[in-house]
Amino acid sequence: MNKFLQFILKALAILLLTMVLLDLLYTTVYLQSNSRSKIDYLYNSKDKNYDVIFLGSSRVNNHFVPKLFNENGYKTFNFGITRSRLEESALMLKLMVERNYKIKTLILQVDLNINTNDHSEAIRSLFMPYLHQSKTIRNHYKSIPEYNKLLYIPFYRYMNYDARIGFREMYNSAIHKKTNALDKDGFNPLKNHNGKMIPADLSKYYPKKNIAYEEIKAICKANNINLIAITTPMCMSTINRDYFNHIKSVYPEIHNFENAVTDDKYFATCGHMNKDGAVEFTKVVFDAFFKTKLNP
Amino acid sequence: MFFNSLHFAVFLPIVFILYWTFASKSKNYQNYILILASYYFYSCWDFRFLFLLIFSTLLCYFLALKIENSKTLSARKFWLWLCIAINLGFLGIFKYYNFFVTSFSELLQAVGVNSSPLLLKVILPVGISFYTFHGLSYIIDIYYKRIKSEKNFVDYSLFVSYFPLLVAGPIERATHLLPQLKVKREFNFEKAKEGVYQIIWGLVKKVVIADSCANYANAIFDNYNSMNSLSLILGAIYFAFQIYGDFSGYSDIALGTSKLFGIDLLKNFNYPYFSRDIAEFWRRWHISLTTWFRDYLYIPLGGSKGSKWFKVRNTFIIFLVSGFWHGASWTFVAWGFINALYFLPLLLLKRNRKNLDDFTLSFNFESIRIVFNILITFVITCFAWIFFRAKTIQDAFQYIKRLFENGTFSEQYFSIERYNHELLALVLLFIFVEWNNRTKIEPISGKYSWLKLSLCLAAILALGVFSDYKEFIYFQF
Repeated sequence: MNKFLQFILKALAILLLTMVLLDLLYTTVYLQSNSRSKIDYLYNSKDKNYDVIFLGSSRVNNHFVPKLFNENGYKTFNFGITRSRLEESALMLKLMVERNYKIKTLILQVDLNINTNDHSEAIRSLFMPYLHQSKTIRNHYKSIPEYNKLLYIPFYRYMNYDARIGFREMYNSAIHKKTNALDKDGFNPLKNHNGKMIPADLSKYYPKKNIAYEEIKAICKANNINLIAITTPMCMSTINRDYFNHIKSVYPEIHNFENAVTDDKYFATCGHMNKDGAVEFTKVVFDAFFKTKLNP
Repeated sequence: MFFNSLHFAVFLPIVFILYWTFASKSKNYQNYILILASYYFYSCWDFRFLFLLIFSTLLCYFLALKIENSKTLSARKFWLWLCIAINLGFLGIFKYYNFFVTSFSELLQAVGVNSSPLLLKVILPVGISFYTFHGLSYIIDIYYKRIKSEKNFVDYSLFVSYFPLLVAGPIERATHLLPQLKVKREFNFEKAKEGVYQIIWGLVKKVVIADSCANYANAIFDNYNSMNSLSLILGAIYFAFQIYGDFSGYSDIALGTSKLFGIDLLKNFNYPYFSRDIAEFWRRWHISLTTWFRDYLYIPLGGSKGSKWFKVRNTFIIFLVSGFWHGASWTFVAWGFINALYFLPLLLLKRNRKNLDDFTLSFNFESIRIVFNILITFVITCFAWIFFRAKTIQDAFQYIKRLFENGTFSEQYFSIERYNHELLALVLLFIFVEWNNRTKIEPISGKYSWLKLSLCLAAILALGVFSDYKEFIYFQF
């Protein structure tokens, strides 16, 4: 039996050593990667100056064309990430502050995402490689139930989120395989819609006070960032468009832009515009908030 | 409690320590510990099903005594059939009732009679097919006087509910397992070490191979209408490795776990994808079930004796029942039927026991023939797996139709953000490892075992699927 105990202890030691080595390897690779996602780009950059940045979900990622702002002299980047929620947008903003970004205006998408205080597992996972290095990320996740496991068990974070930051992503990061996430200053256009548009149903959506949004407002105030919170377009066949009016009753400062683009030809799906729609919409937003500054 | 869960990782060492410390003095203590552990293990799914397990145990235990003590053949027969009827009755109600009622209602609708069938809202008790077959094999062996009935209730209960094999086999025989439970087990370092290696290799098969393949196979089978021919071919291959990795991985963990307690279980898989014909495949795949059907169904039906018609009939019965055992769906029946069709020519040409020997490969024509036969067997097996995996028979036919008609063999990007061919390298590596170790139980033991153990642990950690947790497929059977 003693022999077996020694054997088990040796095997456990190998297991622990493997976990430590793998953790070291993955973290090292992710720390030098800056072309796979907007999060690794953000983490591995410092002291950037922006006139305008966009934050939000796919309804920012696919809807705002920074080029139209840049052409008018506003240094702009689209930091919208598909699937992210306001919780992740808040962390993005915190990281920008940590990385010493100077931002004049933040345009934040606040529409469907205000319906929930929940988070996106898919996007949360992308912050995990920096958990040990970034105090901001640690503080942000301090209250989640698995925090101690993620922080203290070597390699646990990579196992827990293996679909997004597992071997495949580590390998692609190690060989510097680029994605299109950072092309066009962060704008990812969608293709034209084919076939019949399936209406989105917002009848189960209820806007409510959102913790992350409140947090974003506070960060903007503390860092002199001009916050513009807006809703973004959805196709006209959307069920319960009244939802957007309710948002106004919860947060009166939010600007309604859900009707800025209405024609179905500008939509890839009911909730997402195509490239032409994105250009039209960006022009509307630009005209509403920035044109007057150019032509006083 | 799954074998690849943290719960089991805590449970197993506790039982192991109790077993080899406090209970090591006598066989009775050892069996008490194992039976308590087994009942706890089973109740972790749903404690209500524990009563069903205990009832099934009591039933077979007492009726076995009745059979043995019966003076006349008719009395023996009566008790045997009563036990079979009750056991299969439970299995039928829990597993097949809704299927038969729905099928009957559909049949009535097809002839213009509307009906609203009364369906049962019951969950299938995990492992019911396995422990029912345990009990039946015991009772049938008693009836045929192959063994004496077990008088010690604890020993018999442990035979039925021993936790490593309780929920997904292997389906043990009283002649093999009971004698081991009747004696005090002594700790054997080599056996325990082999058990640990087998558990780790089983985990590699499950979390690295099966669960990775499952992601791709699900993406393909669930969206086969939008898949090209290459993706559909790969879908069948990925599913073949998913089900093999899943079930043989489970069996490895079960066998390895049991070795830690000094008990050997029946081997369930013997590298089935290296079979040279379908008969050999069925001698290597889910061996404990195949031999169960052979001994308790095929041979009592007459086996391969009698006229050609009898042989054909028996072959179809055994394959259809085997398919149906897997689940209450026509897809499983179709899968059994296809395998019967594969087997038939071998049976009729008396070539079904041709490939009983081991083989080695070298640079000659015979080796090319063997490799070709292995590939052909694998291809037809994958074809049958399409029916096993598809949701309905229609889906299976549509899948196959599209596979042949689409004609596009290009790279395809799935909604799971993966390319169709990405997993092939891992599958090929797995085949290479299995091929090189096909004469062994697991590939870790032997030379450089520590290095191989480290690589397996690294593979589990780095290549395993943890975020998208998948149950063992055979738990549903």
